[in-house]
Amino acid sequence: MTDLAYLSVADAGELLRTKQLSPVEYASALIARIERHDNKFNAFLRFAPEIALADARRAEAEIMGGAWRGPFHGVPYGLKDIVDYAGLPTTAHSKILQENVAVGDAVVTQKLRAAGAVFMGKMSTHEFAIGGPSFDLPWPPARNPWNRDHFCGGSSSGSGVATAAGFLPAAIGTDTGGSVRNPASMCGVVGMKPTYGVVSRRGVLPLAFSLDHVGALTRTVRDNALMLDLIAGHDALDPGSANRATGGYTAALSRGVEGVRIGVIRHFYTRDIRADAEMIAAIEAALKLLADLGAEIREIETAPLAAYAACNRTIMMSEAFAVHEKWMRECPQDYGTLARERLMGGAFIRAADYVNATRVRRKMAADFHAHFRDVDVVVTASSMDPACRIDDAKAVESTYPRQARAPFNVTGSPALSMPAGFSKAGLPLALQIAGAPFTEALVYRVAHAYEQATAWTQKHPALE
Amino acid sequence: MTEDALTLDKVRSMAEEIGMTRLTEAHLQQLLRATNGARARRALLPFADLTPADEPAHVLMLARED
Repeated sequence: MTDLAYLSVADAGELLRTKQLSPVEYASALIARIERHDNKFNAFLRFAPEIALADARRAEAEIMGGAWRGPFHGVPYGLKDIVDYAGLPTTAHSKILQENVAVGDAVVTQKLRAAGAVFMGKMSTHEFAIGGPSFDLPWPPARNPWNRDHFCGGSSSGSGVATAAGFLPAAIGTDTGGSVRNPASMCGVVGMKPTYGVVSRRGVLPLAFSLDHVGALTRTVRDNALMLDLIAGHDALDPGSANRATGGYTAALSRGVEGVRIGVIRHFYTRDIRADAEMIAAIEAALKLLADLGAEIREIETAPLAAYAACNRTIMMSEAFAVHEKWMRECPQDYGTLARERLMGGAFIRAADYVNATRVRRKMAADFHAHFRDVDVVVTASSMDPACRIDDAKAVESTYPRQARAPFNVTGSPALSMPAGFSKAGLPLALQIAGAPFTEALVYRVAHAYEQATAWTQKHPALE
Repeated sequence: MTEDALTLDKVRSMAEEIGMTRLTEAHLQQLLRATNGARARRALLPFADLTPADEPAHVLMLARED
């Protein structure tokens, strides 16, 4: 039997369907691994082995009875702890919401439950998806499985750590300024922020309504596409939900990149911000490989990173403060230091500045999307640096501006971070692929072609 | 628009006006830094390029009655 810890969703699903693997055996193996190792990495905020085993037994009975539900039937997953799971607290990793028991499932949870997936627990996050890594909260921050002295990215920290560490094959995260793609970059896994509105946000604690996206972290591109197939879809009760057909994200995976026009946004990582030399080299090597595979590479220019970042943060801070104002009045001492200061940034943004930021956003999105007349996808950096030490507060703080993820929250475009190699210190390097709205299938296709031509997603950390 | 430099006393007064009366001195220092940061970000936004007809990114959209 293959190492169960690093089984892909696609392979696990097939073994489960054909009854070569028992859901109980699979869940038990991962439970044992989590119990053995997660005290070093803190991926789980609330580990739920009893629920997992009950889900696994149910899945086993159904599959043995001939009622296979699909590729996630009997497959373990985790939820970032801002996503509701009925009957469990949704804490947002915060003292303020320690007792906030969810009365129902989020839409993504409903879909995973209906697919017969096995719930393993709630994953660590940055407090309220913005304040971390913090050491002054009721739970410790997650740590990088490639080197536990290093930052694992955030805010979907535990989701990234758990997939990289072989605790889970897939986990749900959220992304408002890069929070799925940041841990994907730092932990060496695949993280997709789909187009705004493709995945329902209902039942997910908001950070900023107009920038929040739900997405998945997985170890392979195919698994990520499978997860998006499952969780995408219109939700009439989510006012941001896109009313259009979704799915079919794996259909074109193997078509390769022959003739695909790739626009490189090089100024993000060479001029606007100078990325780490190893990161630049990894991205340039990836572009050369994609060209060798038949893609047409051309450079494009868009707005400077600083303008995108200012637009993202102005909108994010304004909308987030609207959510947090009550707690800032009543219990400001209950926030961790990082979340409090970041959220306070929205207290005195003028109404006109917020509205004007959304007007700038519309223009930036239109200008960016106009490039897709000439290119099919774009490639750029995700993080500018490999993971820094988690105890170096200044370096951690610098990871927030030193990234090129926020532009795609501003534009709402699909954007995927994936492994692109390793630094000399053994830490993951990453690249980012983005597309026009609702072209997730093409983004996955390009990512899959690169993944198949490299072996980065086959390399795993030693946890001992 | 130019604004006066913020001081701790000024930010305390602004906080009290919106009901944030439970902030410690350390919290007020955080609020001062955060507000200065937000103001600095505004300077990076190309507001001057907006024309009167430029709409916000999200406007109210009502469902069509079928």
